[in-house]
Amino acid sequence: MNISTSWLREWISPDVSDIELSEKLTMAGLEVDRIAPVAPPFEGLVVGHVVNCGKHPNADKLSLCEVDIGSGSNLEIICGAPNVRKDLKVAVATVGSVLPNKMKIKRTKLRGVESNGMLCSESEIGISDSHEGIIELDSKAKIGDNVRNVLNLDDQIIELDITPNRGDCFSVLGVAREVCVNYDLTLPALNYKAKQKGSKSFKSSVSNPNECPRYLTRVIEGVDNRASTPEWMAQKLLYASQQLHSPIVDITNYVLLELGQPMHAFDLSKINGSINVRSAKKNEELELLNGQNVKLSEETLVIADEKSAIAMAGVIGGMGTSTLENSTDILLESAFFEPVEISGIARSYGLHTESSLRFERGVDFNVTHQAMERATELVLEICGGRASKINETLDSKSLPKLEPIDISIEKISKILGFNLDPAWVESKFKFLEFDFKVNKDNSWTITPPSFRFDIRIPADIIEELARLYGYDKIPVTRLSNDANISNVSQTKISSNDLSSALVNRGYQEVITYSFISNEMHDLVDPKAKKILLQNPISDDMSVMRSSLWPGLIQSAQSNIRRGHQNSRFFEEGLCFSGTEVEDQVQKIGGLISGNRYDSQWGGSDQEVDFFDVKSDVEALLSQSNKDYSFEVAEHPALQMGQTAKIMKGEKKIGWVGALSPKLQKNLSMPNSFLFELTQSEIEQGETPSYESFSSFQASQRDIAVVVSKELSSDELIHSIKSLKQNDLIDVNLFDVYEGEHIEEGKKSMALNLTYQSIESTLTDERIAEKVSKIVGHLKTKFSAKLR
Amino acid sequence: MINKIITDATKAIASAMDLKALDDSRVQYLGKKGELTDLLKGLGKLSKEERPAMGEAINEAKVQIQKLIEARKEELEDIELNQRLLDEKVDVTLPGRNSERGTLHPITQTLRHIEDIFTKAGFEIEIGPEIEDDFHNFSALNIPEHHPARAMHDTFYFDSNTVLRTHTSPVQIRTLEMQKPPVRVIVPGKVYRCDSDVTHTPMFHQVEGLIVDKEASFSQLKGLLIDFLRSYFEKDDLKVRFRPSYFPFTEPSAEADIECVICSGDGCRVCKKSGWLEVLGCGVVHPNVLNAVNIDSDDYSGLAFGMGVERLAMLRYSVNDLRLFFENDVRFLNQF
Repeated sequence: MNISTSWLREWISPDVSDIELSEKLTMAGLEVDRIAPVAPPFEGLVVGHVVNCGKHPNADKLSLCEVDIGSGSNLEIICGAPNVRKDLKVAVATVGSVLPNKMKIKRTKLRGVESNGMLCSESEIGISDSHEGIIELDSKAKIGDNVRNVLNLDDQIIELDITPNRGDCFSVLGVAREVCVNYDLTLPALNYKAKQKGSKSFKSSVSNPNECPRYLTRVIEGVDNRASTPEWMAQKLLYASQQLHSPIVDITNYVLLELGQPMHAFDLSKINGSINVRSAKKNEELELLNGQNVKLSEETLVIADEKSAIAMAGVIGGMGTSTLENSTDILLESAFFEPVEISGIARSYGLHTESSLRFERGVDFNVTHQAMERATELVLEICGGRASKINETLDSKSLPKLEPIDISIEKISKILGFNLDPAWVESKFKFLEFDFKVNKDNSWTITPPSFRFDIRIPADIIEELARLYGYDKIPVTRLSNDANISNVSQTKISSNDLSSALVNRGYQEVITYSFISNEMHDLVDPKAKKILLQNPISDDMSVMRSSLWPGLIQSAQSNIRRGHQNSRFFEEGLCFSGTEVEDQVQKIGGLISGNRYDSQWGGSDQEVDFFDVKSDVEALLSQSNKDYSFEVAEHPALQMGQTAKIMKGEKKIGWVGALSPKLQKNLSMPNSFLFELTQSEIEQGETPSYESFSSFQASQRDIAVVVSKELSSDELIHSIKSLKQNDLIDVNLFDVYEGEHIEEGKKSMALNLTYQSIESTLTDERIAEKVSKIVGHLKTKFSAKLR
Repeated sequence: MINKIITDATKAIASAMDLKALDDSRVQYLGKKGELTDLLKGLGKLSKEERPAMGEAINEAKVQIQKLIEARKEELEDIELNQRLLDEKVDVTLPGRNSERGTLHPITQTLRHIEDIFTKAGFEIEIGPEIEDDFHNFSALNIPEHHPARAMHDTFYFDSNTVLRTHTSPVQIRTLEMQKPPVRVIVPGKVYRCDSDVTHTPMFHQVEGLIVDKEASFSQLKGLLIDFLRSYFEKDDLKVRFRPSYFPFTEPSAEADIECVICSGDGCRVCKKSGWLEVLGCGVVHPNVLNAVNIDSDDYSGLAFGMGVERLAMLRYSVNDLRLFFENDVRFLNQF
């Protein structure tokens, strides 16, 4: 909310500078985002009088004006604004002045005629965005006066960021109260009372008192809405970023800003019969003041006449009953609507108005009458007319309850961590306008005023005291240190351990958005359940990722586009297979493509292949030292024949493989290799347990067997190990060969077997026996032939 | 005769330019068929009287030549070694082989730094789901259905009851559902808001902190956060101020500002000329939050705080555009 300090100071004016005042407000919880004069500083802008105004001889759209600025001789100034005319008082930027937009005013020729200055619009002097025409000054403004003074341009505007709990501060009155509390000042009670000369009665009723506990109307007859809004009011509205309309609407806006009570004015002649506040009827429609035509839902609270809805309660008025220039009889409305109701309406129609904002946050339910009196006073003063008496519909039991709150000094001190003086506390209660009584045990019972509906529990009161004491003055203490030893697991593989391993292997960590495009999901993981956002930022970010690969691929894509051909990326993060907690699984994944290393001296570039990425996976797996295996498998994103699922026992814990040629083509990607692992499956290591080793000599035997090309090395080794041969301590595959001398469809696999006994040196015969058993086993199982 | 052999041998040895030539000389004079050996063989033909003197002379010559050979050999080995050193000389300024190391994302590095500071103060690290239910993300945190704070959260929805968490605060609730006080945890993680422009990304990171204990007070919260900020920015006299603010789940609530680390409080573009930078929100846990997890707010009090990780990373690493963190440009990533 924007508020000018001069308006605020009309209400209460502590003896401090505007800057000090705004700092005080910030430190009291009313954050001042900005404080700045209405117009940025500049000089040389004076009041001028357009003595003559004619057409420019050489340009249709320009006027040639003779302007008196009180300097003795009139100035010839060319102006392009449509509203320039004879006898207008204008803001003249004289030759030599510099406008806030850095424009320097010079004597120039426009289409052959000399211009000696400029007539300014609001935007040109930086007070609004409006450049519809030049500023029209009050006709009483004195020629030659500094426009800064005339328009009060040095008035400081405070931009307040009001927190949701302080709806009471959405008005000059509210901020003035806050200033009082902070400077130990007292604001006089409101006492508006408009003269009542009319006698027109008007009937209104409320069908939903829970949602509208208090509804006030008043008829004012014989007003002149052609009158102009007085300069003092126009300026205040303008500086609070309110647009000007007609005097009646300006007055209701003014009261809203001044007292925080949203008001509405209907044209009485357009209301059919009496008014009823009720829920909208089925299929009821309403044309709003903003020109929008809405179909009302049945939950919507409306103001209706005997024919139809005429306004959306607390949010916006209707077009049909709005006041116009020729309106003479008006009906003013001042009401208290229930906050939840209004926020529901505002949200469901996406209509957030100054009125709905205040009702949502909570308006003082005791200011309704005063606002009506204040608005009436202003209407009578500006537009004339005869006000009739106020008609009130009240359901007092539906008004918010002001419940007493018990609180003790001990409780306050415990929460804040230091002792407050009870006398100081009571003095603050007074300035806060809290009603309080001291109980026998020295605790207090407090009832907050009606404008502080946010004060409901002891914590609310503690916060008030803390902020008024000053957060910065609250002493600093330390948490107690119990030196509890927490559980630290030596066998836990942390995310840090995993990422460090990858970083040491040349990977760069990326962080990508958890939502991806539909297309990417369908390409990379089409079988996974699609978890769709209801309100995505864009289609590109509408599906929750089931895999880290889409993000990794996009990171590689964009870097390749920028000329970085060698990719080595990893990411850690949640992937989603549903919306339940257990459907959100932390994964770690990676992508490599391009060359193994950046081009180097003394070696040729080598493209990465499956076994590069596999070794990275093995580096991750080796930290937890479990029995992991790789099984031939198929995955929609991966190339058949270069795809493995990563198993822990019988459980699949990840994938590794080459990006399929189809996806490479679709995504314009080079040969790439990907992996992904479920983190929880690889983060538990085992505590090592020492086993003694043999002091007898180990013996190595090499065998080469010819087997089917389809047989995987894992299967072969696993099958040998499954024999559980005594003293066979290691099996190592050291060569795979196909080609010359090997039958078509077969391959040779060379294995190195290590034998060692814990009891003795093994004899050659003993070893030969064991090896031949293995060969025999492989022959039966895989029709393997010894080479 | 002997003298001639010695003279010849001396010359030959001196002119031997490599070990091979030297060895040839050795064979020529001392070898089995060498000139001195021949002389020795010829001793038998001499008279008894002549033999001893001649034998002695030959042996002396042999020793003398051997010494010369040894000396020359050492010389030649030195020369050869020097030559080898020259031949094997490399440009030591060439880069090491395959020396590429990757990088951790700056956000991860920042998270690690924050986690290190708090774990040293006895905090445990907790994490939670990113798809949350309404109860944990809002209701239990004292944000009922029509609360204005909901509208300010720009929430991503899956259905009316399921959201992408808008803050890490739901993990406060999840922690208190599982653990009895005293509790001292921090919660790092991703959060989401339906907002995307120069200063907002739809996903970002927060670290939440929660303390629940018998005697947890606002003044302790101040102490903890001042110490944290000074440790994070590695500046012992960093100025920190606390301003009243509003969060539905804490009361009293505060925002903490630090003196601008760019201009040291003089006023610049980053701090919008105020000299202060807002870096975190905090407060005493609202009694309704403790009640939601059945903790008696008369017995226990809670302290909570939350900070934006991107903001802290930007200030520490002088990053001036939030979006860089999620573009994953290697030219950016390489700098950390």
